[in-house]
Amino acid sequence: MRDLVRSYGKTLTTIFVALVCFWVLIMIVLPQAFMIEQSLWTMQRDSALGVKIDRAYADLATMNYDLGNARDESAKTALQAKIDALQAGISDMEQRETKPHKIYGLQNYTAMSGLHFRIFVKSIVYALAVTVLALLVCYPLAFTIAKLATPQRAALLLLGLVIPYAINELLRVYAWLMILDYQGVINSALEALGLVSFQDKTWVPFLEYSGSVFVALIYAYVLFMVFPIYNTVETLDKNQLEAAEDLGGSIWRTHWRVVIPHAKPGIAVGCIMTFMLSVGSYSVPQIMTRGKSGDWFSQLIYRQFFETQSWNLGAAYAFSLVLVCLVFILLMMKLFGVGIRDIAK
Amino acid sequence: MSTQAAGGIAVAPGAAAQSRGIDWSNVVLNAYILLFFVYLFAPLLVMSLAAFNAYDYPSVTQWRGWTLKWFDALAGDQRMIQGLLNSLVVALGVIGISLPLGLSGAFVLTRLQSRANTLLYAVLVSPLLMPGIILGISTLIFWKRFDVPGGLFLTVLAQASFIASYSMLLFMARLQRQDRDLEEAAQDLGASSLLLFRRITLPFLAPTIATAAVIAFLQSIENYNTTVFAIGGDWTLVTEIGSRFRFGLSPEINVIGVIFVAITIVAATLYVLFRKRELMAARAR
Repeated sequence: MRDLVRSYGKTLTTIFVALVCFWVLIMIVLPQAFMIEQSLWTMQRDSALGVKIDRAYADLATMNYDLGNARDESAKTALQAKIDALQAGISDMEQRETKPHKIYGLQNYTAMSGLHFRIFVKSIVYALAVTVLALLVCYPLAFTIAKLATPQRAALLLLGLVIPYAINELLRVYAWLMILDYQGVINSALEALGLVSFQDKTWVPFLEYSGSVFVALIYAYVLFMVFPIYNTVETLDKNQLEAAEDLGGSIWRTHWRVVIPHAKPGIAVGCIMTFMLSVGSYSVPQIMTRGKSGDWFSQLIYRQFFETQSWNLGAAYAFSLVLVCLVFILLMMKLFGVGIRDIAK
Repeated sequence: MSTQAAGGIAVAPGAAAQSRGIDWSNVVLNAYILLFFVYLFAPLLVMSLAAFNAYDYPSVTQWRGWTLKWFDALAGDQRMIQGLLNSLVVALGVIGISLPLGLSGAFVLTRLQSRANTLLYAVLVSPLLMPGIILGISTLIFWKRFDVPGGLFLTVLAQASFIASYSMLLFMARLQRQDRDLEEAAQDLGASSLLLFRRITLPFLAPTIATAAVIAFLQSIENYNTTVFAIGGDWTLVTEIGSRFRFGLSPEINVIGVIFVAITIVAATLYVLFRKRELMAARAR
């Protein structure tokens, strides 16, 4: 802190620290904390409360009538005490009706139905598959561009990667909708080959399969794997490759012992980004299924907030997703032996 | 796909080795790269082509002749145009919030010598490592307690929470290359810290501020997953496109696609040419 004040003076330091505090508290930590808090309670719902209140009012009327008819003074005071107690009970119940009690507990986490849990697992498994496949596709590509292509060609190839990367995710996924549609590109090709017939509606309903979401997820997020790996491989000294070759290292060994260890942070970042984007993607399943075939986990979360209005359950689902991502990040950091400083660069 | 990938791995290193005659590994490698680029661009081509098809449903296979009528339809689409304006408002708001936050974060982290440094760093980059929908949800829940409903304002805050992290990383990378001697010399000569900041630190950061603003702008315009949770009853261009997918598709969306593709290609090409010129100028010096 002293270093900060010495460099920028008291006024600026105060401003910087205040802004950072605002960012940390109001935009990151407190929203997360509130989301977790929301996931930890449910409203107590006593549907019999209204009936109970009605009955109490009826009792109250009878007692008041009795009070008017009572002649004995001691009976009157006893009755009055009963009336007061009942009235207190009524106001308590009325307060509970307008302001229901929160009940804290893990009920939102344990309430996940079998169907929702299967969707949760399916989303994770598919995201893992997307990550592995993207890594297999991108590693040779990143290595070729970084180390084997001439500088001019590398620049051109990078430009070719940046263009689709910069185009909106929704539109890129939409392109696949047109390819996989009932009368889309693939079915038309199949028809031309005489394999399906549009008239008999024997087309392949690709969009009804989870596989079409998988195809679109890969297409949408594969480039998030290329750039981090490219960036790390690019800094590898070419002499190291030549030395490995001169020493008789096989191609596989060179990659296993020289290139991959060097590219570890890039591979970790690529895997984390690809997994996180795939597992939390709302856009891709929403466009590909168009709400017609089975939901994905992100769509379930959306429904909790905007269709069934069960925010507590929605918050619990959302935080479960955060936990999955957190576990994945920690696993990657452990597997590749990198720290938080290496992965967020 | 997977066989392609396996073939690529087996071959990529092979290209480093010199073989006699036709370098087969090189041929396979080039074919692999070509295939990958076809995979990247063919869907975009399909989408763009359908924007010019007279057929009412977006398609390239049921061709009913060339037309520009979908461009007219888009130009007359008030909701889309309002969505674009909303997107621009949000993007400006995001730039206005995330640049000061990113700068402050970078200053504090580069100068704070403390054990809390790593923790603070982890918290400030955490929005980048979290699914976008989570940022939208947590912002929505937080502000609900203060009776602020979803809308453009919450969208700005939710987007800025992670876009500020991007700018912070850019500023940190730049600050690490800063020569501290210059600042110390100015201080020794009696410059006030405000003057020092204005005359030395800010000019040094100026190119990065421009880059960060452009990146923040693009990220904000593109964003869907965070926005869709924070937007409430309002809409941006991208959430409007998203909601159109639910109700009948129209080639109007393809027209937006064509415009996006065209802008991106022009911008990327200009950037490369600009960089090339810069490099040549640097070499000539």
